Amino acid sequence: MGKTAQHLALDEQLSMEITNAVCGAMEHTFNVKVKPGKFEIGEGMVSLVGDVSGVIGMVQDKLEATMILCLKFETVRDILPRVVGQTVSVTHEMTLDAVGELTNMIFGQIKTELNGRGYSLKLGIPSVIMGRGHFVSHFHRGKHMIVPFYLDDHMFQVHVALHPLATDGQS
Amino acid sequence: MSQLSQLKVLIADDHFLVRQFVRNTLQESKISNIQTAADGNEAIDLIQKAREAKQPYDIVFLDWNMPTVSGLEVLNYFRSRSEYADTAFVMLTAESEQQNIMKAIKAGATSYIIKPVSPADLSKKLFEIHEWIKRKRQKNEQKLRF
Repeated sequence: MGKTAQHLALDEQLSMEITNAVCGAMEHTFNVKVKPGKFEIGEGMVSLVGDVSGVIGMVQDKLEATMILCLKFETVRDILPRVVGQTVSVTHEMTLDAVGELTNMIFGQIKTELNGRGYSLKLGIPSVIMGRGHFVSHFHRGKHMIVPFYLDDHMFQVHVALHPLATDGQS
Repeated sequence: MSQLSQLKVLIADDHFLVRQFVRNTLQESKISNIQTAADGNEAIDLIQKAREAKQPYDIVFLDWNMPTVSGLEVLNYFRSRSEYADTAFVMLTAESEQQNIMKAIKAGATSYIIKPVSPADLSKKLFEIHEWIKRKRQKNEQKLRF
C-alpha cells in the first residue's frame, strides 16, 4: 500500500530533496542561484513570518503533511523582473501568480521524489497568502523541518510538518 | 518547410509566470509569432479561429491543469479532428507521474515538458518538436501526391 509516516523521516535526505527542488525551480525559472542554509528540526507549533506564502497539503493513507514556502515582497520583486522584464512593474497579481506556481513546481517535485521512494503521496491545490508581515502557522504540535534559503540579501524558508495518522484513520 | 523562427505558437497556461517564461525562451530561439491563452476555452477558441483564418498554430503548449477546460481535454478535442494532425500539442505540467505522462501520450501529445524546465532544455525540446512537425508535414504532402 506504500510506505508509512514512520518511514518518512525529517532528515538530511528530505532536506536534500527540498533543496534540489527549490534550487532547481529558482534557477530554471528565474535564472538565480539560491543557497540552502542548514536545516532545523523542531517540535511544536511554529509560525513563519513573511509577506507572501504558498501553502500546500500532502496526504497518504497514513500521513498528512503541510508544506509552506514563505517569502518577502522584496525577494519576489527582485526575482520576478528577471522573467517579466525590468521595466514591468510587479503587481500583487503577478506576485500571487508567481508564488502559486513556484509552490506547485517545488512541492510537485518533492512529491515526485518521495513517491519515487514509495510513499504514494498526493498533493492538494496550493493556496497563496499575501500580506506584509503575516504569520503562517501549522496547526500541528509534532515534528517539523525548516530549510532556509539565501539569495543575495534575501532569505526565504520552506517549512514541512509531518503528521502520522493512527491506523484507524483518526489523527 | 518553415524555419523555427517562422513557427506560430500558442501558450495556454493559467499562470502568467509560465506564459512569460515560455515566451522568453521562444523569443530567444527567434520565434516571434506567439500568442497566449489563460484557460482551456480560450485556447480552443484561438486554435479554431487560427485554422479558419488559414493561419493555424504549429505548436500549442498546454498546461495540464487549467480553468474551464483542462489541457488534456483540449488535447483530446483536437486530436479527434484530423485537420489538426500536424499541429504539435505539448503538455506543460508540474506533474511528473508516469500515469499522467502515459495519459498524455495516449491522447496524442507530441511531447511532454515537466516544470520547472530550464531554458536550455526547453530550447532542445523545441528543436525535437520542429523535427516532428517537418516529418508530419512531409508525410502529408506525400499522401496528397498519390
